[in-house]
Amino acid sequence: MAKKIPSISKINELFQNKEMKPSELFEQVYETASYTESVLHAHLELFYDEGLKLSKESDNRYSKNESFGLLDGIPIAIKDNINVYGYKTTCSSKMLSNYVSPYDATVISSLKKAGTIFTGKTNLDEFAMGSSTENSAYGPTKNPWNPDFVPGGSSGGSAAVVSAGSAVASLGSDTGGSIRQPASFCGVVGFKPTYGTVSRYGLIAFASSLDQIGPITNTVDDTRIIFNEIQGYDSKDATSITPEYTKLENKKIKVGILKELMQEGVSKESQNEVNKVVTLLKEKGHDVTEISLPLTEMALSVYYLIAPAECSANLSRFDGVRYGIREDASTSYEMMNKTRSVGFGEEVKKRILLGTYALSAGYFDEYYGRALKVRSKIISDFKTAFDKVDFILSPTTPTPAFGFGDKTKNPLEMYLSDLCTIPANLAGLPAISVPTGLSENNLPLSVQIMGKPCSDYSLIDFAESIEEMVEFNFSPNLLKEKNES
Amino acid sequence: MSENFNIDDVSNLASIELSEDEKAKLQKDLQIILEHVDALKNIDVKDEKIDIHPLSKVLELRKDESKESLKHEDAMMNSPETKDGHFVVPPSIE
Amino acid sequence: MNLKATIGMETHVELDTKSKMFCSCEVVETDEPNVSVCPTCLGLPGALPVPNKTAIEYIVMLSLGANCKITNEGMFHRKNYFYPDLPKNYQISQFDFPVGVNGSLEIVLDEELHSVEIERVHMEEDTGKSVHMGSGRIDSATSTLLDFNRSGIPLVEVVTKPVISTSKMAVAYIEELRQVVIDLGISKGKLEKGNLRFDANISVADENANELGTKVEIKNMNSLKSLEKAIDYEIMRQSKQVEKGESVIQETRHWDENKQVTVSMRTKEGSADYRYFSDPDLPNMIIDQDFIDNSKKNIQNLPTDKRKTLKESGLSLSDSNYLDKGEKWLYDLYLSTVENTKDSKSTFNFLTGELQGQMRKAEIDELPNWVDSVKLANLINLFETNEVSFTSAKDILTKLLSEDIDPKSYASDNNLIQSSDDEEIKALVTSIIKDNQDIVERLEDPEDKLVGFLVGQVMKSSENKVNPGTVKDILLKELFG
Ligand SMILES: [Mg+2]
Ligand SMILES: [Zn+2]
Repeated sequence: MAKKIPSISKINELFQNKEMKPSELFEQVYETASYTESVLHAHLELFYDEGLKLSKESDNRYSKNESFGLLDGIPIAIKDNINVYGYKTTCSSKMLSNYVSPYDATVISSLKKAGTIFTGKTNLDEFAMGSSTENSAYGPTKNPWNPDFVPGGSSGGSAAVVSAGSAVASLGSDTGGSIRQPASFCGVVGFKPTYGTVSRYGLIAFASSLDQIGPITNTVDDTRIIFNEIQGYDSKDATSITPEYTKLENKKIKVGILKELMQEGVSKESQNEVNKVVTLLKEKGHDVTEISLPLTEMALSVYYLIAPAECSANLSRFDGVRYGIREDASTSYEMMNKTRSVGFGEEVKKRILLGTYALSAGYFDEYYGRALKVRSKIISDFKTAFDKVDFILSPTTPTPAFGFGDKTKNPLEMYLSDLCTIPANLAGLPAISVPTGLSENNLPLSVQIMGKPCSDYSLIDFAESIEEMVEFNFSPNLLKEKNES
Repeated sequence: MSENFNIDDVSNLASIELSEDEKAKLQKDLQIILEHVDALKNIDVKDEKIDIHPLSKVLELRKDESKESLKHEDAMMNSPETKDGHFVVPPSIE
Repeated sequence: MNLKATIGMETHVELDTKSKMFCSCEVVETDEPNVSVCPTCLGLPGALPVPNKTAIEYIVMLSLGANCKITNEGMFHRKNYFYPDLPKNYQISQFDFPVGVNGSLEIVLDEELHSVEIERVHMEEDTGKSVHMGSGRIDSATSTLLDFNRSGIPLVEVVTKPVISTSKMAVAYIEELRQVVIDLGISKGKLEKGNLRFDANISVADENANELGTKVEIKNMNSLKSLEKAIDYEIMRQSKQVEKGESVIQETRHWDENKQVTVSMRTKEGSADYRYFSDPDLPNMIIDQDFIDNSKKNIQNLPTDKRKTLKESGLSLSDSNYLDKGEKWLYDLYLSTVENTKDSKSTFNFLTGELQGQMRKAEIDELPNWVDSVKLANLINLFETNEVSFTSAKDILTKLLSEDIDPKSYASDNNLIQSSDDEEIKALVTSIIKDNQDIVERLEDPEDKLVGFLVGQVMKSSENKVNPGTVKDILLKELFG
C-alpha cells in the first residue's frame, strides 16, 4: 500500500534508528511506481536492478553506522536530459532514442557520492522545450491530481513522480520555468537555484545562459538538503560560480509584490494565492510593498529570442554522425538533413528555426542582439529592486494545470504559461515555487519567491516559513484513492 | 520585419528537411511569434553593454594539463557505423 | 591595361600545448583514430568547454610578436556550419573581439625589408579529420571516415590585410610567421604536419583602380611550393579574365596538386551564413595587463632580433634571413664561430655550405660533441690565411666530423700547411720557368691565362704545400719584373 512519503530528514532518522532500511523504502517507491506509472507515464525508464543493489549497499552502511549522510539511501528520480553513465539519455526525443551516456553529469557524481539511489529517468518535453510534457516523443505524462490535466513542463515527469510518491525527490532543469511550473501544477516544491551555483556539466543544453538544474521535492527542507549536495563550483563548467551565499540578518523581511504579475494575464485564482500569503506575512510582521518592473512585460519576447537562438546552436550536434538515430542517404549533408527532420519533433524544429532566423545575417541586431540588450536592462532593473526588498513574491503560474490539448493550437498561449517564471531565468536569480492551496477544480496552486543572486539559502529559509504558514496538506487523488482502497 | 522570413532559407541553414505540410504549419506559428517579439523594437537599448553571463562572471582559464579521456570503446559505443576505429558517414565530398 | 594582384593570407597555426583548447584531452600524434577524445571534443550531449590558459598565453605572445594591440575585454563566439568532422556543428572561434588586432610582420625579400600588416589574430579550435574512401578520386568517394583526435586542438588564425602583391612575398610572409611561432616556442611549425595551414585571398584589378577586384579564396595548399604555384596560377587565370573584360566570380577554389591548377569547389547552395554569436558557455574573457606582462616575459629573440644581430656581424640581409630561418643550432654556431674568425661571409659560406653539406652526406643531424665553434673558427682561419688550401680544409673538416682532432695540429702532422717561405717558392718557380720555356715565350701580359697554368704547375710540384697567392706574386715578379 502506498504511504505518503516522509521528509528526507525524517527518513534519515528512520534509517539511523533502524526502523526502516533503504532497500525497504526503495521497494516501497518502486511498488508505488508499478501502479502509478500505468496512469501517469512519468518515468521513461526505471533502474530497478541497480537501485535495489545500491539500496542494499546503503542498508549495509546504516547497519554499520557508516552512512554517507542525509541523502544516503534516498531514492531520487532524474530528468532524462541529465546524463547518467551507462543509461540512456533520450531527452524524450526520437533523435536520442538509442543514446547511452558514456559519462556522468557532475550533479550525478555528487549524488552518487552522497549514496543517493536513482529510481530512473523521467519524462519531459522533448529537449526540455515545452510547458506541458505533451511534447515528449514517448507520449505525455499525466497530472497525479487529475490525469485529464497536464503535469506542466518541461520537467513534468520529475514533478509527477514526487507528487505521486514514486520517488522521494527528483532533479529537473529550468530554462524558463521548467522546474517551478510543473512543481506548481503537481503541488510540490520546485527550486531553480542562482545561475551558476549548480554545474550544468552533463545536462543536455537547451539554452545555456538560462538552464539550471534544481530539485523538485515534497518539502522545502528536502530542497535544502538536495541543493546543498549538488551546488558548488565545478571546473568542468566555465559558467559555474564560486557562490558566496548571502545571509538574512534582520527578522523583519521586506517583500515586494511584483505588480506586472498581478494583473491581466494572471488568473484571479493565482493572484488570490499571493494575497493569501501577503496576509499571513503581514500577520507575522513582515513588510510587504508593491513594486513595479515594467520590463517584465518584455521578458517573454526576450526569452523567445534568446532561448531559441542558443538552442539552434546547442542542438546542431544532433546530426546522426557520432550517436543517435541516423537516416540513410547518399551524402553526409543529406543524411544530416534527413536525420534532423525525422529525429526532432515539431516544437523543437520550430524553436531551432526561430533561433536560426534570429541569428542570421541581417537580422541579428534586430532580434538576438536587441534581446540581449533588453535582457541586460531587465537584470539591472532587478538589481535596483533588490536594493529595496529582500524577496519578490508572485504567482508561479498564471493558472492551475490546464487540460491536454488546451494550449497546443497557438504557440503563444503555451508560452504564456511561463510568464511568471521566465524573469528569474533572464536575470539568473534563484526562485522557488511553494504550493499554497487548491483551485476550484481541486488542482494545486503555488506562489513563487525570487531572491537576489546567491541568496539561495536565505530564500529557502524564507520559503520554509511560508510553507509553515500556509500548511498545504493535500495530496493527489491518485494516492488518496489507492490509500482508501 | 517578419515578412522577410523565408522558411526554405532557414531550414536549409538549420539543416532540417521539412515537408510541405510542416512548412505551412511552422511558417504560421513562427509568424505569430515574430509578431509578438516585435514589441522589443520600442525599447531603447543604445548604450546597453552585453555580458554573456547573467551574473557578469569573468572567464576562468584552465591549467594546461592533460587528463584521461574517454576509453575508445566508450567513445565509439553510440556510433551508427564504425570502421577501423573511425566513425563512418556517407561521403562528405560530392 | 596594367594589372596588379592583391593577396591577403589567412593562416591557421596549431599551438603546441599539452592538452586541447577546451578539454583536457592530450594532444597526441598517432595514427590510431579516436583515442584522445572526450565528451567535449566529441560534441557529446551535455559536455561543456573550458579554455586552456596556456593557449591564451600563446596567442597573446603571438599577437605581441606580430606587434598587435591586445583586446583586453574579449569573448568567444560560435561559428555555425554543418560539416561531419565538426562535432558540435559550430566551431568556437572569435568574431568581433579577437585577441590581437592591427599588427605587422617584417619580412625579407632578397635584399629588401617589407612590412606585412596583420588585421587580426584570433583563437579557435580545430576540427576532426576526414578520410574520404572510394576509388581514389575524391569525386567518387563512397564513404568518409572520421577521426576526432585532432578535434579541439588550439588553433590561432592570423589574418593579414590585403597588402601582399606577389607569390614570392606570400611565401616570405609564411616563412616569417613560421619562424615567429617557432622562436616563440608556441608551435612546432611543421608545414608537412599541418601545424601551419594557409588560405590565400586573391584579386586582380587595374593598377590605377581605387577598388580591389573580386576576391577568390584558394584553399588546400600544403607546402610553400604549392602556395607559390597556386598564387601564380590564380593571378594568371584572373588576369586573363579581367583582360578579356569578363567578370571574376567570387568563390572558393582548390589547388589541385596533380593538375597544377585551381579548381572551383562545389559549395552548398546559398552563401555561407555563419550566424556568429557569443558562446553562452564561455563568459567574457578579460586579458589584463598582468597577464600580458607575464606572457611578454616568455618572448625572446624573435626573427627580427636575430636578423639584426646577424646583420651586425657583417652578413647581408638575405644571408641573415637565411640563417634566421634555419635551424637554431646553426644560428648559434655561426654567431659563436664568427667571433673568432675574420670574415663573416666566408664563415657563413663554410658553415652553411661545407659543414651542412658534409653533415647531410654523412647523414648526421647533430654535430659530434667535440666539434665546437673554436675548432671550426680555427679551421676557417687556416684557409682564410692561406695556411692550408680550401681543399685541405674540406678534408680536415671531414676528419673532424669523425674524430676529435685539432685542425691546426692535424694540418701540420699531415703536411697540409702551405709554405710561404719565399726562398723555397722562388726555387720552385725558377725550376718551373725553366721547364716551360715554350709557354713563357707565349706570355703577353700578367693577365694572361697561362700565368694560372704556371701557378698550377708550381703548386703541383710542391704537392700543394705552398701558398698559391705567394706563388703568383713571385712568378709575376720573375716574369715581368
Ligand atoms: Mg578559422
Ligand atoms: Zn576532449
